[in-house]
Amino acid sequence: MIEANKVSLRYADNTLALNEVDVKINPGELVFITGPSGSGKTSLLKLLMGMEYPTAGTLKVLGQPMKKGRSGKISRIRRKIGPVFQEFKLIEGRTALENVYIGMRFLGMSPRKMKEYATTALDRVGLAHKKLSPVEKLSWGEAQRVAIARAVARKPHLILADEPTGNLDHDNAVKILELLKSFRSDQTAVIITTHATHLIEDEKDATFLYVNKGSVSIERRGKE
Amino acid sequence: MRSFFYNLGYFVKETFRMLRMNLLSNLFSLVGTGLILFLFGLVITGGTIGNRIVMLLSEEAQISAYFTDLTDMEKAEDLVSRIKELEGVRDAFYINATQAYGRMEKVLGEEAGILELFENNPFEAFIEIRIHMEAMDTVIEKVNALEGIDYVRDNIEVLEQMRGITQGLKILGYFIFLAVSITTLIILSHLIRQGIYHNREQIHTMKLLGAPNAFIGFPFVTVGLLLTLTGGLIASGLLVFFIDGAYGEMNGLLPFLPLPSKNELTSGIILWIPTVSAFLGISGSLFGLSSVKKVSG
Repeated sequence: MIEANKVSLRYADNTLALNEVDVKINPGELVFITGPSGSGKTSLLKLLMGMEYPTAGTLKVLGQPMKKGRSGKISRIRRKIGPVFQEFKLIEGRTALENVYIGMRFLGMSPRKMKEYATTALDRVGLAHKKLSPVEKLSWGEAQRVAIARAVARKPHLILADEPTGNLDHDNAVKILELLKSFRSDQTAVIITTHATHLIEDEKDATFLYVNKGSVSIERRGKE
Repeated sequence: MRSFFYNLGYFVKETFRMLRMNLLSNLFSLVGTGLILFLFGLVITGGTIGNRIVMLLSEEAQISAYFTDLTDMEKAEDLVSRIKELEGVRDAFYINATQAYGRMEKVLGEEAGILELFENNPFEAFIEIRIHMEAMDTVIEKVNALEGIDYVRDNIEVLEQMRGITQGLKILGYFIFLAVSITTLIILSHLIRQGIYHNREQIHTMKLLGAPNAFIGFPFVTVGLLLTLTGGLIASGLLVFFIDGAYGEMNGLLPFLPLPSKNELTSGIILWIPTVSAFLGISGSLFGLSSVKKVSG
């Protein structure tokens, strides 16, 4: 599903964000990317989303090489990913339901299927009753759940969540992590970045990518 | 393609949302485009009428041959027969002095009273020769050379002037079309860029979700198309109204002017102005859309 071979990322200002990263992630895996702020977690996620490209090494996401100048192919890869952005990136002036639709409109789904998937997703995040509320009227936590619904409604192969626990208290952070983990399936891998290591230290069946100063070390726990 | 049909409702909604977003600016653009297209339509109409008049006058090109000394009717008939045989001549008729007087009375209409100031008929008999326009010079030369013909009068200068005016209108039409195109393209591409700027966050998110540029850009194209097409329809309406009024005036003042049929002219306007405006709308929007690619994603 994801294959990185000696991937490095150096920004235009010469900062080395990632250094010779080797990692392989299989379908259905639950992956936590952890590390201190500025360690390179978000850079790694940006590479997986095609928002940045490796400056050295090779990276394949969903079997496709991530290279600059392949915008059409990158778009096609992104359609199979369900991203949950740190700042949610919901579109204001639209309802929760319309925001969920936005991620599905260009996938060739019939309106009936789209409605079914979006309603189910909102139901799963506990927001079915707020589907017609404009997103700017939702609380922070509700907005985050709309973002999660938008990511999962499109039945992605890969869910990428960037610091979903960032601004939450302990109980809500646990709930959000549990919610995201619940979308893991044989076909769908879930990758979550977080610096709240205390929330994931007891995970028995997951892969941990520890990022520090651009280097990545891997720990796999649970079923092989 | 399937996504396109499934999302028709969404595109319509987005189009109207974008129009509402910059309502005042869009309204001014609509009025501006409508007026520019109206001016363009006026020039096209002028050119069409001019062309038609020149064509009809060319079809009716005729010269008049006057006799040196007409005493013998038989001689006149003989001349008419000889002229009819010349190459480039469509027909020839003998017009006697009384018929010539009658024709002038018709032309002068209410002013015909002026002819009564003459004691005798001031007009003389002549041969009216209908010719093919392109053979005018040769026919004039040959008729002039005939024994019994004093001189030949032609209307070539009038035709040349008309042709010159029409040619001028045509060139003016090209320039105006160029000006209309450039102005419309600039107005529209600026509007589209403005729309893209206002929606940059949404576009950025859609790109991150994998939306193709064509999907993101489609509502912007429909905004451009809707603005110019409506402008084109307004211009067509104004032109039809204007042509109707102008025909009424012309028929009263210059009834002999061979104008093209009003229905033909207005149907042409109703067909062409919106077509041109739609073409300009799509081109301008596509031109402005190039900046979608610049929105990071």
